This record gives sequence, C-alpha cells and structure tokens, in this order.
Amino acid sequence: MIEMVAALQPLLVGVVLIWAARFKLLSRFAAAAARRSALPRLVGESRALPAYRLLGGVELLVGTLLVLPPALAVEGLAATALTAGFLVYLGYARRAAPDASCGCLSARQAPVAGRSVARAAVLVPASLLASSAGTGWHGALTARPAAAGAVLLAELALVVALSPELDHRWLFPLRQGWVTLTHPLRGGSGVPLPRTVQQLQQSAAFRRIGTLIRSDVLDHWDEDEWRMVCYAARYRGRPTTAVFAVPLHDYTPEAVRVALVDDTTGTTLLALAAPEPARA
Amino acid sequence: MTTTMDRRRLLSTAVLGGAGLVGATALGSLAPEAAFAADARAVEPGAPDPDFAEGRISTISGGTLLVTGSDGVLHSIRVTDGTSVWKLHPTTFDQVAAGDGLYARGVRLPDGTLAADSVWVNIVNLHAHIAGVGRNTLHLDHKGQRIVAHVVPGFSAAVYNSTPAVSDLSLLKVGRHVQVLGAWHPDTNEISVATVYAAV
Repeated sequence: MIEMVAALQPLLVGVVLIWAARFKLLSRFAAAAARRSALPRLVGESRALPAYRLLGGVELLVGTLLVLPPALAVEGLAATALTAGFLVYLGYARRAAPDASCGCLSARQAPVAGRSVARAAVLVPASLLASSAGTGWHGALTARPAAAGAVLLAELALVVALSPELDHRWLFPLRQGWVTLTHPLRGGSGVPLPRTVQQLQQSAAFRRIGTLIRSDVLDHWDEDEWRMVCYAARYRGRPTTAVFAVPLHDYTPEAVRVALVDDTTGTTLLALAAPEPARA
Repeated sequence: MTTTMDRRRLLSTAVLGGAGLVGATALGSLAPEAAFAADARAVEPGAPDPDFAEGRISTISGGTLLVTGSDGVLHSIRVTDGTSVWKLHPTTFDQVAAGDGLYARGVRLPDGTLAADSVWVNIVNLHAHIAGVGRNTLHLDHKGQRIVAHVVPGFSAAVYNSTPAVSDLSLLKVGRHVQVLGAWHPDTNEISVATVYAAV
C-alpha cells in the first residue's frame, strides 16, 4: 500500500508544481502577483519579477522531471527542497508582510493564511515520499487503478481544499447554493414600518400637510386594516399631532387619511378622509 | 400606559372618523407659505445650521442631553414628549444611553439649548459591498473596513429597486452594492440594519 501511495506522489507534486509554474511563467498578471507577494521585501523591488519567473522555471523543470519517467530519487529530493523552501518562505511572509498575497498559484489576492501554509506543509511529506518511490506512477495506476485513482483524487481534493486561490471555483458557489437553500436573511414577517412611511409620503394627504410636520415618527400602532403613524406638527403656533391612517396591507397612497389634533385641547383641527386630487 | 392607550384611541377616532370632519378651508390655507410665514428664519450660507446638532452623549440629566459634537462644541439638547426618538426604530427617550451618538433637529432657544423635535440615535448611512452572509448577519465591506450588520427580524426592511419596502432580505447577494441605514452599536464595528437599499 505504502509503495503504491509513494509511487503516486511524483504525479501529485509534479502536477501542483507545473500548475504553479504555468501561472508564474505565462500569466499576464504574473507581474502584479509578484509585486503583491512578499518577494519585494525579500529580494528587492526590481528583482522581484525576475526571481518570481526564475522560481516558475525551477518549478516547471522539477515538475516535468517528476511527472515524466524514469522515477529517480533525486527528483523527489529536489521537490522536497523546493516545497520545504516554500514552507519557510510562507512563514517569513506571514511575519514580514502579513498583507502580502501568497502568489503561489494564481493572481487572486489571498493573504497568506493557515490554509496556504497547510498546503505547503502537506507537499513536503508528499515530496519526501516521492523520493522513496520505487516504481513510476504509471505502473502503480495501471496495477491498481481503483485504489490508486481514489488516493490520487483524495490528495488532489486536499490540495484544492487548502488553496484559497481556488475558492471562487468551488467554495463560493457552494456557499451561494447553501444561502439559496436556507435563506439566512429572510428576516421577519409582517409589514415593516418603512413601507408604511413610504406609502404615507407618497400620499396626497402628506402633500397637503407635510410642511406642518416638525418631527420624525413619534408613535405608531396597528388598528384592524390600518396602521396609525403620528408626527408632531405645528399649526399656526399651536402644537398639534398629525395622525395618519395608512392601509396596512395594500399599497394605495390615495387611501391615506390624516387628522390634525390639538395637543392641549384634544380637539380635531382638521381631518382629511379623501383628499381632493392636486390640481395640475 | 393607560394615558398612552387613551391618547391612541383619541387619535384613531380623529383620523378614522366619528367626530365631524373639519375641512381644511375652515382653518385657512394649508399652503407652505402660510404655514411657514411666521417661522421663516434665515441662515447665512456656509454657516452652521443653528437648529441642528450632532455628537456623542456625555450625560443625561432629566430630559436634557449633554452632547459633545464631533467639532468639540458642546450642545445641550432638551427632549420632550413631543420629540421623536429614533434608535433603529421609533422608540422612547428611556432607550437613549450615555455614549450613544446622535443627530438632533429642533429649535434653538435663546439660552442656547436645542429644543429637539427629532432625535436620531446612533443613526448611520453607509454605502458598502456585501462581503458575506450569515444567519441574520451581513458582512459589509465599507471602504476596506469590515462591518458586521445585524438583521433584526421585525424591524429590518429591504427596498429592492426603489419598490415598496419588504421585510424579506433574502434577495441580497454577496458582492452587490448596498446602501444601509442602521443603528451603530457604539464603539464597535457592528450595526443593526434598519433599511437596506439594493438593486436586484
């Protein structure tokens, strides 16, 4: 079993290295990614991009040697040196430039987090195992295709799960699906007060007496099919309360009624049940 | 409590009928010019509006709030039964606490006190992007700062595409731009959502 797993490691590590190299060497965004990484801190601003490209070249070389036969122990040792180097670099980046991106696999901005470090840490033992591989990965795959395929898929899934750069491909859609299913923001039921206030403000009644209103909503309560909304108003120097009756469930601003009630005497100064439409 | 109920009954009766209707003409014109004729007060262009105050509440004594403005000016703000108090929703004066921020509008009295008509406590108005969604929680990205916005069932409302507000916020999507009116939780990066405006 362990021989089979070891034989598969060159393929896994090789594919990850080639994937990383492809971005560093071919992407249009490589320069930006190099700038955002911790490399400028490490080797200087002007040497960051050449160092980034050189690293990509080394990754491509080691990755290709790992994937192509024959399986040599020295390839695994080179990969071990490379992946251990990444681990040390990520540790340095987290200390020296916590805001810097990893720049490992894509141009997506993702600060060096625990997952990136864990991915690098997983690749080190994988590389070590690769150096102890006796046979090539092709032989292991053809000898026990089901078991070898399952091991390879599980390892690839682990690498993908530990790659923040790939979250937009699988994690975000998964989260969106979960949100669509569970509706965590459904909120309450019933008619929110802003809806009533919007309706009130669009009514002819509000246009008639809106200029008398001095305060924001003072009080509100529901009464059968109506929601009552009170404002402090001032009419000819008298403190009054403007009370609006707004249809609770329908959205019919033309049905809004209003009354002005004197605060001291309690008499109704004005009641507009069905205000006349404004003249053009 | 009884007086509140009595008052509500009086106001309901006034607006829903019962008493004879009084026409607007019986009281004279309701046109804005007539209503504001006596109240018009000129404010110098560029000068601070004397009838407005903002700041953090340092002391509450009786119905008076002592407020330190963001420019260092001290305001004394008087709150009465006729003052509307907003703190996520229309509420009462006893919900206001020292340390809260506020905006107040009213009439400046000769002694410098602001007799408040309206007080909005901890009110914030943010333009932000939705960075994440949780159970009754929105994570907002506001100019690079993370803000946790709590949805309060029963009070939070959403306005989609300028249509009437609804209480269902489930159409909000990660990555979208939103405008949020809410109540800040003092000295935190958290708010409660009053109304969120979004395009869907």
